[in-house]
Amino acid sequence: MKRKTASRLASAGKYLLLLLLLLFLLFPLYWMLITSFKTNLESYLYPPTFWPKDFTVESYIKLFTENNLFFVYYKNNFIVSGAVALITLLISCMAGYALSRLHVKFNPALVALLTASQMFPVVSRLISLYSLLQSVDLINTFPGLILAITAAQVAFSTMLMSSFFDSVPVSIEDAASVDGAGRFRTMFTISLPLVKGGLLAVGIYSFLMAWDDFLHAAILIQSDELRTLSVGISARYLGELSYDWSLVNTISIIGILPMLLLFFFFQKYMVKGLVAGAVKG
Amino acid sequence: MQRKMHFKKATGDRLFWLMLILPALAIVTAFILIPIADSVRMSFTEYKMKNILRGTPATWNSFENYIKLFRNKQFLPTIYRTFGFVVLVVLSQFLLGMILALILNSNVRGARLIRSVMMMPWVVPTVISALIWLWIFQSQYGLFKYLVNVFSFGRVTDFAMLNNTRFALAGIGIAALWKQIPLTTLLLLAGLQNVPDDMLEAATIDGAGYFTRLFRIVIPYMRSVIQVILTMAIIENFKQFPLIWTMTGGGPSNSTTTLAVMSYREAFVSQNLGSGAAVTTIWMLLMIVVVWVFRKCMKRQEIE
Repeated sequence: MKRKTASRLASAGKYLLLLLLLLFLLFPLYWMLITSFKTNLESYLYPPTFWPKDFTVESYIKLFTENNLFFVYYKNNFIVSGAVALITLLISCMAGYALSRLHVKFNPALVALLTASQMFPVVSRLISLYSLLQSVDLINTFPGLILAITAAQVAFSTMLMSSFFDSVPVSIEDAASVDGAGRFRTMFTISLPLVKGGLLAVGIYSFLMAWDDFLHAAILIQSDELRTLSVGISARYLGELSYDWSLVNTISIIGILPMLLLFFFFQKYMVKGLVAGAVKG
Repeated sequence: MQRKMHFKKATGDRLFWLMLILPALAIVTAFILIPIADSVRMSFTEYKMKNILRGTPATWNSFENYIKLFRNKQFLPTIYRTFGFVVLVVLSQFLLGMILALILNSNVRGARLIRSVMMMPWVVPTVISALIWLWIFQSQYGLFKYLVNVFSFGRVTDFAMLNNTRFALAGIGIAALWKQIPLTTLLLLAGLQNVPDDMLEAATIDGAGYFTRLFRIVIPYMRSVIQVILTMAIIENFKQFPLIWTMTGGGPSNSTTTLAVMSYREAFVSQNLGSGAAVTTIWMLLMIVVVWVFRKCMKRQEIE
């Protein structure tokens, strides 16, 4: 009898903890969502309302119709993140293949170098990049920004790709090379199709990281119409005394949306990739 | 296979290898290694924004940036604050992530759904998570002020997390936890699935209680995963910038100024690149030492 009550208590405690943790993780998102559907006046109500009294899409209409740069930042963010994802994919695919398939004695040194490169603070790099990129006319341009962000993604993505290539049996390639296929052809036509999941994971991961970038763009981009989302939002919608909180939350929703969709559609690959990267890397 | 073939293959492999790693090596060298070396060099020079504008070169100033830094009364407190932030956030992140992972691994109904839904904060861009928490902690109309009021039964009516020098950094810590717990949980969950079931069963039959099993079997089995997760978390929180910058800008009265904020301010707000580089150089050294010591500690445990 005693044991039964004890295990029931433990189970109740477990669900209570789960509930609290989930509340902490999910309630802020709910709060953002409902604030975006409140009128700005209602968002300033205290005590706050937990469901909008006048459910309205006012802020969304305002965001979409008012002449502002939000969608310029948004488009820029897509361009920059997309380019970062593609370039990272290409570079890390090649390097990852080399690490996984070709057993050259410099491999451990390369891994150490890549791992170390992830540790350096971004500010430290930017202090120097600011003047270096100036001298090659890449400051305040997309190519400069894209390459700087890509460099920060290459290390993790390469490890990830190499762990995906590791999971493809070498015997398949040996068969191809016996058939006389060259190294490049073996890589592109035999191995690459077998790591599609890895390609998706790396592509989405680097897209996500680039979408999140704030620091690189804050320093390397100066003109307003080239700004990306994070910097644009914090420069334009914050720091003014009169906040329109309903609008700020609407902006947040629109800013998160592509990431959420991407994550939910490709969750399977993402989860697998992240786990492979962390457990192996 | 045949010896002769092997030699030829080895040279070819080496060339192929070089070709494949060249782009990665080039971009990492050009955009990370050279800039890092360059900023360390800069930290020993007088180099300001106006040097760039006028095109005048940096000049050696015999450690003046460092001397000034150590004379600055704000510098040591900033280092302590950074360490405090990293330690507290990493520990709570690990603890809460572990609790959530253990619960999700214990035949909870809907665990799969919960696992995918709980990942949502992780995909929220950092600046937007700063906005979300800025709004929750808002000093006049914020949700948090209301909750504090309710749960203190009306005794605390005017709680403004981010305007309070004692609590502002904790507020940022909460936002950091919110964004980072999901990934920690996901990775711990993956680690938990590698713990052999038969061993746990055997221990249960031997009469080992839940916590004995947890500390004697589960955690030792997950050591390498835990080490990776903690290293990642230490580096990430050491580097944390956008969250702090967006939420408080380092204030009120420097109570949330970490090394990241300080270096950014020196370099790009005060426009003194040399002095900012001195801060980041010390910051880098500290980070390397911390990660190194941490690895050493984990290794020693392994041997024991």
